[in-house]
Amino acid sequence: MTAAKLVINEIKGYHRFIQLMIALTGVGALAALARFIFGLGVTTNLNDTYPWGLWISFDVVTSVPLAAGAFTIGVVAHVFHIKKLEPLVRPAIITGFLGYSLVCIGLLLDLGQPQRGINVLLYWNVHSPMFEVSMCIMAYTTVLTLEFLHPVAERFGWHLPLRLLRTLEIPFAILAAMISTLHQSTLGTFFLIAVDKLHNLWYNPLLPLQFWLSSIFTGLSIVIFEASLVHKYMGQPDESDLLATLTKIIPWVMGVYIAVKAYALAFLSHGPLFDRPVLLALFLVEMVIGVFVPFCMYLTNRIRTDKKLQLRAASFVLFGLVLNRFNVSMFGMEQAGQQIYVPSVIESLVTMGIISAHILFFVLIAKYFPIFEHHPEATDYTIPDHFRKLEKGSEGLKAAHEA
Amino acid sequence: MSGGHIDFNKTKSFLIDTTKCTGCRGCQVACKQWNQLKAEKTVFFSGEGYQNPPAMSEYTFTRIKFRDYQKHGQNEFAFYKEMCMHCNEPACASVCPVGAFKKTAEGPVVYDEKRCIGCRFCMVACPFGIPKYEWSKAFPLVRKCTGCYSRVKEGLQPACATACPTAITYGNRADMLQEAERRIKSRPDRYFQAIYGKEEAGGTSVLYLTHQPLDELGFKQVTKRPLPSYTWQALRLVPGIFLGVGGTLSAITWFQHRKERIRREEEFKNSRVKPEQKEEDQ
Repeated sequence: MTAAKLVINEIKGYHRFIQLMIALTGVGALAALARFIFGLGVTTNLNDTYPWGLWISFDVVTSVPLAAGAFTIGVVAHVFHIKKLEPLVRPAIITGFLGYSLVCIGLLLDLGQPQRGINVLLYWNVHSPMFEVSMCIMAYTTVLTLEFLHPVAERFGWHLPLRLLRTLEIPFAILAAMISTLHQSTLGTFFLIAVDKLHNLWYNPLLPLQFWLSSIFTGLSIVIFEASLVHKYMGQPDESDLLATLTKIIPWVMGVYIAVKAYALAFLSHGPLFDRPVLLALFLVEMVIGVFVPFCMYLTNRIRTDKKLQLRAASFVLFGLVLNRFNVSMFGMEQAGQQIYVPSVIESLVTMGIISAHILFFVLIAKYFPIFEHHPEATDYTIPDHFRKLEKGSEGLKAAHEA
Repeated sequence: MSGGHIDFNKTKSFLIDTTKCTGCRGCQVACKQWNQLKAEKTVFFSGEGYQNPPAMSEYTFTRIKFRDYQKHGQNEFAFYKEMCMHCNEPACASVCPVGAFKKTAEGPVVYDEKRCIGCRFCMVACPFGIPKYEWSKAFPLVRKCTGCYSRVKEGLQPACATACPTAITYGNRADMLQEAERRIKSRPDRYFQAIYGKEEAGGTSVLYLTHQPLDELGFKQVTKRPLPSYTWQALRLVPGIFLGVGGTLSAITWFQHRKERIRREEEFKNSRVKPEQKEEDQ
């Protein structure tokens, strides 16, 4: 009773927006429950023509690259050893952890037999892209959970796990990049089998490479997006100096992406490109607003200092990525003259619930765990050579705990 | 995946001569009977033409499609039996994460519903749009033509082939191809010069002969390459990429940290204490 009262009092103290997020998450959970009670056919607008709908297109195919911030910033900060970017790593890992957890939930909702999901581990089919992605998502969610334990261990002062996690920081960053490279690209391989279904504007053998490249610049953009919003709405310090470093990296990746895409379109696609005006328009919007405009923004000198421009460029990239994944997994798969798939109310409510849950849990975790306090001034980042030896680090740690 | 090496000359195949089909739909009824499929409540003309039910579904594994056309000013019908093509290298089997689909040595592509997790990738992958889903259920499974594997295994012919009075011949794939070619050659005016299924999707265990051009009858234009090869060309690189990325990033990490370590050692050396001295003392 008192515990419940405590929780209710705590929630009453939250901002209106967070209360709205709680409500939307609740509605999403109810809608998800309806799917299990009444079945997929009744609650969704899926049918034999559209076996995959909003839940696959957004909750899986789009959410996975949107959660790519964790591995990209991990590589930049730890592998390339740009130490000053350290404060950006932890929020990105939280986003990744939440993102992948919610991908798992979305996937389980969409499966017809979620209780048999474990079969993927029992009956391997290495020829299946879905097998590979499932294995990767399971493995990477585990890695992200362990990385997420970092602030948890700090919060509760568990020293031994903390030291262990610190030692494993770099191996984890590398492992995360290895696993992410596989499943980010394999999400593109999914659609290579749809050879006579996916429109030529998107279908070409380099689709996996394009998915991987776009996940990298999107991952870095989402770090910018998130840091800007957190600064704007959650009163956290302004990181635009650090973000400026990212704005120098992103255009390189985008440049390669544009080159690969142009090459694939010009030489590797077999079939008419301009036969479907609606798809052509979608493709142009995706490429111009979602790729070329932010690419030019990232190339300007102004973006290194202009916070607003950073946020705007990142937002355009995110828009472009979402549209690209929907184009590949939904719009481009619709055949001419076919009835058009529109998600049902319940499908939409579930997806809205998943997005709200992501925002909600991010804010809550940031509220109760040391996510943003992870600054070089307060903490020492040198990894102890041995478990016994923590000379400089232990003082830094103590300072962090007392703070 | 298709288990081991299957001799595709010996897999049992359907030769469906649509010029001989009378549209009696005995195959549809036989299929429903053998597979114990529920009847569907349908309304006539709810689909494209005269065919009924309007589409294949979880209750309908095969169906005769009607196509009306004019010959010498007279209205005529052409028929096309829609069913699973039982590909030599099935896309459904290659994309299934749990390997629920299998190409049997006898010919039929069979589905193990105990393995299925319900991801519906098979439905997305199938170039012929064959696997259907039990949309009415809370925990649905995939349904499709079984090629009457239970009958074929015991030396019988599939239910539809047994019921068909005119159009279906059933036997080894090589024999069926030979027979189809013989018919095309001996009656060139009767047949459109193609065997649908000979090369489609890398070859299938259902072969069609038609009078009309294929697209007029509603046959899908499908790639001649086996579909699993499209994804495999990317997936085969997976182990190499996994280790390559790991190795490259490890090397970069080592190099970047070495730079940092050297810088710090230099700083230390140029400052006050001499660590080398210390070690010699010990």
